[in-house]
Amino acid sequence: MNVQPDLEFIKYLKSAGGDTLKKCYQCATCSVVCPLSTDTKPFPRKEMIWAQWGLKDKLVADPDVFLCHNCGDCTAYCPRGAKPGDVLGAIRAYAYTFYGWPSGLAKLASSSKGLPMLIAIPTVIIFVLWLVSGGISIPSAEHFSAHGYQQFFGHWDFHWLSKNVFIIDLVMLSAAGLAVVSAFKGVSSMWKGMEENAGIKSEFRPTIVQFVSEFLWPSVLEIVQHTRFRECKENLDRVQGHKPLMLSFIGLFIVTAWSATANDVLALIPALSFLHGPMSVWNPVKILANVSAVAMVVGIGILWMNRSRKEGEKGLTPTFYDWFLIWEIMAVGVTGLLAEIARWAGLAGPGYIIYFIHLVSVMMLFMYMPYTKFAHLVYRTFAMAFERYRESSFGKNPVNM
Amino acid sequence: MTDEQGTSGAILVVGGGISGLTSALEAAEVGNDVFLVEKNAYFGGRVAQLNQYFPKLCPPSCGLEINFKRIKDNRKIRPYTLTTVKSVTGGAGNYEVTLETAPRYVNANCTACGDCAVACSDEIDNDFNFGMNKSKAAFLPHEMAFPRRYVINKAALSAAGAAAVKAACKYNAVDLEMQPETKVIKVGAIIWATGWTPYDPTKMENLKFGQSQAIVTNMMIERMAAPGGPTDGAIVRPGDGKAPESFAFVQCAGSRDENHLEFCSYICCMATFKQMTYIRERYPDAKIYVFYIDLRTPGKYEKFREKLMADPNSTFIKGKVAEIIPEADGGVTVVAENAVTGDKIRQKVDMAVLATGMQPSLAVQGAPVALAMDNSGFIISDPEKGMIAAGCARKAADVVTTNQSSTAAALKAIQVSRRS
Repeated sequence: MNVQPDLEFIKYLKSAGGDTLKKCYQCATCSVVCPLSTDTKPFPRKEMIWAQWGLKDKLVADPDVFLCHNCGDCTAYCPRGAKPGDVLGAIRAYAYTFYGWPSGLAKLASSSKGLPMLIAIPTVIIFVLWLVSGGISIPSAEHFSAHGYQQFFGHWDFHWLSKNVFIIDLVMLSAAGLAVVSAFKGVSSMWKGMEENAGIKSEFRPTIVQFVSEFLWPSVLEIVQHTRFRECKENLDRVQGHKPLMLSFIGLFIVTAWSATANDVLALIPALSFLHGPMSVWNPVKILANVSAVAMVVGIGILWMNRSRKEGEKGLTPTFYDWFLIWEIMAVGVTGLLAEIARWAGLAGPGYIIYFIHLVSVMMLFMYMPYTKFAHLVYRTFAMAFERYRESSFGKNPVNM
Repeated sequence: MTDEQGTSGAILVVGGGISGLTSALEAAEVGNDVFLVEKNAYFGGRVAQLNQYFPKLCPPSCGLEINFKRIKDNRKIRPYTLTTVKSVTGGAGNYEVTLETAPRYVNANCTACGDCAVACSDEIDNDFNFGMNKSKAAFLPHEMAFPRRYVINKAALSAAGAAAVKAACKYNAVDLEMQPETKVIKVGAIIWATGWTPYDPTKMENLKFGQSQAIVTNMMIERMAAPGGPTDGAIVRPGDGKAPESFAFVQCAGSRDENHLEFCSYICCMATFKQMTYIRERYPDAKIYVFYIDLRTPGKYEKFREKLMADPNSTFIKGKVAEIIPEADGGVTVVAENAVTGDKIRQKVDMAVLATGMQPSLAVQGAPVALAMDNSGFIISDPEKGMIAAGCARKAADVVTTNQSSTAAALKAIQVSRRS
């Protein structure tokens, strides 16, 4: 076999937490102790040697790289301290950049060098919009208590679309739209690569309904229930942080969808105009929002503490990839809660500034989703769907069954 | 030797296994006075526990007997069993060493007739056989024990047992009042030939030693295969005595692993190939599976490896066993990934042999004096200080290499002893 090692790829892995990669001597202890590794397609031993050889094309289209939940059991038992769990994390970080579109933005989000720019982009966009919308003025106490942050970007008299909603949608939907397009492109090319590597000829494709019901939905259910995550032994405590965090995202998604519908669509109907304006604290939707916000901060706090502890005790290498997402989510959660507290307290000035930071952090989370660790949300989900697909009759050669 | 307490030209050899015996003999045969101390009740160390040693597959008596004969014939060697080093003071050329000899409870009158053991009703675990059988509390450590004298485990002796043992001895050799003795000797140099201890297999939790009788260590196989061993040479599953139809050898069980022994124990690959010959003698058709990371059979051992790898009923799998599952029928399933094919293997076998490595004994029991050691507990020789390491106290090695390093250690010690 003629192996052309991609040295840049190996260097990247070493810089992104996979510095122990070359210590591996292929004893395959990892593939046996890994609670998620299957009998037919064991990992991560093969990924370790591919990584040592710099075979990035194989790795970025290897579902097992994404099926890994970084339990750390392999790392605990590794006789050489090669830390396969961390190496696979570094491969995933590489893959998100590799699939990221536009590639400039993906590259920017891949290292701490890009951090000032990553913060500057949404800050400038939102600040300029705040400026040109004429909103930069701290409201009076009465105005603040009546409208909260609903006229952050000012107010106009066009009944059917408020100025605030227009600008927020403009910013957030653009950011999210970019992320969705990028993730779609990335997942599509990952899927194609996985099919090629698995030797699956796509002569028989599932319909969209089949695909969702047979492959995607069961994977989503598994993820929500944390079935695989619970198999982990060494890092089981991460479930306690990840589960509330993930549920909080689902909760906040529901809340956002409902408020957008209620506040910006239904409330336009005169008879339902009471739906407009800040919700009462006892409104069930508001309760869900607040519970979710607290769950978010608690969940990410647990993950934050776990990671710091492991870095201290077990010599886990701190990486930008891991920490950037933790910081982003913490920023979203904390500023969101503080903005609400400021509203209750009637502190318009601090409230507006916190709310500004909140918008910036939310935009960062959305816009950079496909390039940061947050991308596991789509890539792992589809890798799990692919695992089911591979085992289904679609993944088998109909002639050689 | 004129000075009862030793001279500055004397050499102390700590450890009476193959390495210590060699060092002591080489130094004494050059003309130095030698104190040879051994903590067990017999000389011969780990080699004495083997059935055969490679590559010629000689029984241990082959190498040990001639050394014992040389010791008997050499007035310059003072051998002490049941003796340990308590403290060391001074420096190169004039060390003062305190030795402590534990009571054997049997004096020099003993003729090894064995009447005491017959009369004794108390039993103890036979440590020489890794607890696979019992021996009497008055016992000869093993068939070819040298010195050929019984030992009594007084703590395990009941009042009735003590009386019976005393009464049975026609030679008045039993002395249950014997006390530990301390003596101070003067030596110029010290050779540390403290050897190795099989790595504790219970430390590898995933290999489940102790949770199934089907999981044994390579040293247990040596004792089973030995003619005077607990099974009189039969390799059978402890507990139910089943003749195994399939074996799995688990290489690097604790070796080359920074969670256990970070070094390669050097002998385990060859030990496994050797033990495959034991199995073939007894079970010509048994299936043998060897799970390894690398097969390390340096130099002429390659021939030995090639011969056994041609065995049609043996399979070699590159992949470390990282899990062993005890099964209801008394067997076990070993789990590994074949790193060549990428398949996970679950192999059910009747017996799994853990090829455990050698841990330097001083790393287990601690050194009586500050010695330069590496991270694993192997001693680093310091000839300037007259502290010299030999054999497996120095590094993991086979008998051949051990004898070479022991001879080299003797030469270094002689040089130190003549310097002053």
